[in-house]
Amino acid sequence: MADIYKLIHPVKYFNDYISREVRPDGREFHEQRNIKLNVNSIKSADASAVVKCGNTTVVCGIKLELATPKAEEPDFGFVVTNIELPPLCSSKYRPGPPSDNAQVTSNLVSDIIINSKCIDLKDLCIASDKLAWVLYCDMVCMDNDGSLVDACLIALMASLKTLTLPTVTYDSETEEIAVDTSVRSKLNVHGLPVATSFAMNTQEQRNIILADPSSYEEDMCGGLGANLIICYNKGFICGSQKFGGSNLSTECERKAHKIAKERAQIVEEVINVCLKNYENDTNNQ
Amino acid sequence: MVSENTDLKDFKLRPMKCECNYLSKSDGSAILSQGHTVSLVSVNGPLDVKMQSQSIEKATLEVLFSSKGGKPTVGDRYKEHVIRQTCETAILGSLYPRTGITVTIQELEDQGGFLACCINCSCLALLNAGLAMRHTFAAVSCAIDESGNIQLDPARDQLDTARANMTFVFDSREKSLVTGFTEGSYSEDAYSEAVERCRAASHLVFAFYKEIVSKYSNVIG
Repeated sequence: MADIYKLIHPVKYFNDYISREVRPDGREFHEQRNIKLNVNSIKSADASAVVKCGNTTVVCGIKLELATPKAEEPDFGFVVTNIELPPLCSSKYRPGPPSDNAQVTSNLVSDIIINSKCIDLKDLCIASDKLAWVLYCDMVCMDNDGSLVDACLIALMASLKTLTLPTVTYDSETEEIAVDTSVRSKLNVHGLPVATSFAMNTQEQRNIILADPSSYEEDMCGGLGANLIICYNKGFICGSQKFGGSNLSTECERKAHKIAKERAQIVEEVINVCLKNYENDTNNQ
Repeated sequence: MVSENTDLKDFKLRPMKCECNYLSKSDGSAILSQGHTVSLVSVNGPLDVKMQSQSIEKATLEVLFSSKGGKPTVGDRYKEHVIRQTCETAILGSLYPRTGITVTIQELEDQGGFLACCINCSCLALLNAGLAMRHTFAAVSCAIDESGNIQLDPARDQLDTARANMTFVFDSREKSLVTGFTEGSYSEDAYSEAVERCRAASHLVFAFYKEIVSKYSNVIG
């Protein structure tokens, strides 16, 4: 019965739940979905992670390459992020060149990495103007059930935290490059940016925000890409983007900041525990 | 955190100049300059769209952004996304089901606060095209420098030295936040202060819209 009701009166079905202070999947407004994280799952990548936030699944792999730095920034390496949204992850996507949504998400994630300054690009430089590391961070979404940016960022940060760089010696006279993969050093990651998405809805003059929305909730609150995304790093905001959806009141904004701050701590703990377990496992082997 | 000499002086935005009906062949067009930043927007619609992108509920909004260089980049897609989401909340799309509305933006000069200029120019072009809207919208940008001062509507040189820069879009009815996007990192207090400053300054933009509309409308003047 409920299924038919949902099809015939999609908006009323959703609003009936919201007016009773509960979401269609049984969560409360501020409640987030469970996070499952696994690091170094792909052995052929230099670092990788798989994350599941509810049903949203993202796999991230990092590949290292050597390149010559740009002439205008001779002391900087590169971090190249790319997000793939194949037709596999949702019926909204078609095969072919990256959709607008994939490009926008890519841009959002790379902006967060730059704005939070969690990676000093100078650390990636080996010899000024001659040699630097390029981190190709590829994220593939397996299942898109909303809050894509959050999941992508968790996967990316967990991978970056496990990444080790091989020692490279560069001879400036002969221009010879020697890579020693047996001696590896950890990449310096400053802080841990965590993004939290919200869907926004207005009912009878009342502003409502739903933390960590599923794709159904996103559809009901403005459609694809209409979200409020707040990103925290070390207690500072390093990105706050609001697109579409209902207009936001000051009070809701404050609430969203509070939830985002709490979630940042939880996610940080999840990542740290996962990394600790992984390190223990590798030491025992 | 904010120095004392900032009360009224800071509520000044860079001078705005606008000309509507700049293009003869589009349904609505506007060219807007904010300081040295200039953008040109043309609006066409409601018109026919492809079957697959038709929606039976509302008009399909298409935003095309062309940069000065002409080569499309990922950053341009992001700008299109920002402008589309903003316009979509404002346009009463349900009045034009199964049709399409195209908003084309041409970058002419970027000297800081470019996206804010594009959004304001889009609003003027939509008004000029005579499309039904829920509300108008005004974008105001600001920059926070190293010492925590908030500078409204910064120019290019101020942006380069800023610690964070933010752009907010407000609606004309309740002055609530329609769109917001930020760069750099900052504290919560700085954020809420910046929102309030920009909200107050949005009055100037709405007043400017009124002035332009009364200039171009001969009947309601």
